Amino acid sequence: MSEFITSIKENNSIVIIETNGYLNNVGGEEISAIVYERMAQGQTKFLINMAGTKIVNSIGVSILIEIIEKLQEVNGKIGYYNLAPIVAKTFNIMGLTKYSTVFETEDAGVNEL
Amino acid sequence: MAAEFNISELQLKYLELETLLDITNELNSFDQISVLLQEILVKSCGVLNASSGLILIEDDNSDVLHIGADFNIDISVLKGLIFNKRKGIISEINESRKAINIQIEGDSFLSKTQCKYGLIAPLLDKKNLVGVIILFDKESRQGLSPFHEADSNMLSAIATQASVAYNNIKLIENIKEAKTFNDNVMQSIVTGVFTTNLMGEINHINRAATAIINLDKESVIGNHYEYVFESNEFMNQIITKCELENMTIAESQVLLECNGKSTTVNISVSPLLNDSNEPIGSVVAMEDLSNLDKLKSTFKKYVSKQIVDQLLENDDMLNLGGQEQEATILFSDIRGFTSMSETMAPNEVVETLNEYFNLMIEIIFKYNGTLDKIIGDALMVIYGAPNSTEQDTENAVLTAIEMQEKLIEFNQDRIINLQSPIKIGIGINRGKVISGNIGSKQQMNFTVIGDSVNLASRLCSVAAADEIIVSEAVWKKVKPLKLYKAKKLNPVKVKGKVKPIEIKEILYNRPDFQYELAYQKIEQFLIANLPKQYTYHTIDHIRDVVIQSERIAKKEKVDKSVIADIKLAAWLHDVGYIWEPLRHEARGAEYATSILNEMKFPKAKISLITGMIMATKIPQSPKNHFEQIICDADLDYLGRDDYDVNSNYLLKEIHLTKKITHKEWLQLQCNFLKAHTYFTNTTQKLRKNKKNLILLKIQEQLNNK
Repeated sequence: MSEFITSIKENNSIVIIETNGYLNNVGGEEISAIVYERMAQGQTKFLINMAGTKIVNSIGVSILIEIIEKLQEVNGKIGYYNLAPIVAKTFNIMGLTKYSTVFETEDAGVNEL
Repeated sequence: MAAEFNISELQLKYLELETLLDITNELNSFDQISVLLQEILVKSCGVLNASSGLILIEDDNSDVLHIGADFNIDISVLKGLIFNKRKGIISEINESRKAINIQIEGDSFLSKTQCKYGLIAPLLDKKNLVGVIILFDKESRQGLSPFHEADSNMLSAIATQASVAYNNIKLIENIKEAKTFNDNVMQSIVTGVFTTNLMGEINHINRAATAIINLDKESVIGNHYEYVFESNEFMNQIITKCELENMTIAESQVLLECNGKSTTVNISVSPLLNDSNEPIGSVVAMEDLSNLDKLKSTFKKYVSKQIVDQLLENDDMLNLGGQEQEATILFSDIRGFTSMSETMAPNEVVETLNEYFNLMIEIIFKYNGTLDKIIGDALMVIYGAPNSTEQDTENAVLTAIEMQEKLIEFNQDRIINLQSPIKIGIGINRGKVISGNIGSKQQMNFTVIGDSVNLASRLCSVAAADEIIVSEAVWKKVKPLKLYKAKKLNPVKVKGKVKPIEIKEILYNRPDFQYELAYQKIEQFLIANLPKQYTYHTIDHIRDVVIQSERIAKKEKVDKSVIADIKLAAWLHDVGYIWEPLRHEARGAEYATSILNEMKFPKAKISLITGMIMATKIPQSPKNHFEQIICDADLDYLGRDDYDVNSNYLLKEIHLTKKITHKEWLQLQCNFLKAHTYFTNTTQKLRKNKKNLILLKIQEQLNNK
């Protein structure tokens, strides 16, 4: 576990990754490493709890887009919850919300993915 | 498909613009610099893909910056570094006033961050550099890269907005600081200060002012001054005048009565003006004079008000040293006090002396005497030192006469309360004395010394009780005024003088017997001493007899002077109950004789009064008209509507010594009413019929038994 990824758990076969801090190049790479590792194990659904992430840059967003591309190849899905308004706004501007979903809560994410 | 996922330049520009807009919108919502700086830094890093960032901000009053915010960077590596505005990259920014892209290698402090690239923008207050925002290492999917020109423009834009917000917060902080500073200054000053706005509402008040007003700050702030000073019309007038005339108004020695507290203050009210010299309210300063008053009042225990004021105005008077001058010295001494005090309890001795001294010293100060010493029961008073006037000797004589006169009143109270009267002898001399502050710097006493002082003391020793003995020097001063009478006495030989000294006794008229004062004192004596178990022979009964005797006497056309004596007898007619209820008339007459003799009451009048007291003995036996009046007054209630109330009180009192049946009581009343006669025409006319009706009623009740 790193400073950025603070917990990984499963709920109803969905991998839930909790982040803390700047979702930039470094943070993005850490998320992608976890996702790709779990994909290799056959898991295809991911939820990111971003309560501890108050800022994100376009590189972090572009890494998330790369993850979405990979997941689409295996009919997988990724979603996010507990987003700070500025993060939600950035995701929206960057077009991320066209290809992945922002949920209000973990339960909502687990139910819909 | 993958092309869809590329983040376009347009999207990035959109994000930049949105971020700049967010920053602009949000910056003014911060009220703490540290929060503001952190927010700017985080958003700048996010929008410009910086991996980390720092904001260095000014230290007050120096050219050194400190870390105001950091993001995603280990600042421990920067510990101990001095970020000087005049050195290195910060100096460059200070000169260029625009964002600069840099390669970090080689820079003295930035290289410590282990970052490769930097983008620095200035935070400015007008043209002064107040800080810098530094972003490190632009991220890309290919790794870290230098920032672009567009990034510089973006950071410059953010920095400009941030500078405005920073300066606003700083301004607010400065205003708060100035307010706190002003508040602290206001709170620390001993003068009470408050300000009002244009509406007349109090908007600032310091601690001293709340103490004077005797209200807490919360109860004052926001209220109109007329409400706060509701019972101080003068204060309201001063503030209103200042508001109307736009000028400073000062008033001294104003007595403020606020919420049960009285304070004497000097007041100054000035208009409060803004930068354009327009009035925006008033500022009121109140100097509490209580401490000065306390000082004066302590001082006044020893010297007169006049001398206190002189001393407070003239420091030189407090210098040690002396001068020869003419002065008048008065000595007084209680005659026989030593033997009197032997029969008194120690606290009674002190209480008596304190009462006596309070009375005497008030008179001394009234005539501007300086109380030099209290020696046991003796007083030494100076007139004419430190400052002499033409009236000094006359003032001393007037003091002596008033002391003797007041003592007569004072003793009236003591005599009524069966205490020994205080008698004093007074001696006054005038002559050369050495006056000055004698003692050490820690404790000095203003006094006079010399032969003249000694002679005044000797004259006091010569004076018998009630006498005022003066030297020829004193008499020569007051004789020409033709206001005083003196009796020449035989010259006396005094210790320390070879030749006998010529002396005079100042004669004064003994004041008339103070009837009203005597009534008052006897009433107090009765209230304090009448046995509490009595239900009929109470102070209420005595008050009633006094009222009825005066009423009857007036109706019977008795001379005013005799009415005063009848009232005195009425006040005293049941006083004997204090000691001997069974022979209270005789005991009361003895008491009256004793106290009236002591008060030098005319002998003939004393027997008139004791006769009236004795006449009230049942069966009543008046021998003259005045005795008839008091007898009728004593049993006036027998023919009144309140007969039942009074007779019930009497029955209760009888029950204290023996139990009687209701029938016996009816019989007793019946017999008493049958045997009783009103003596004066006034009472017969007014009460006889009613008394007969009461008798019939009682007889009826008896017949029904």
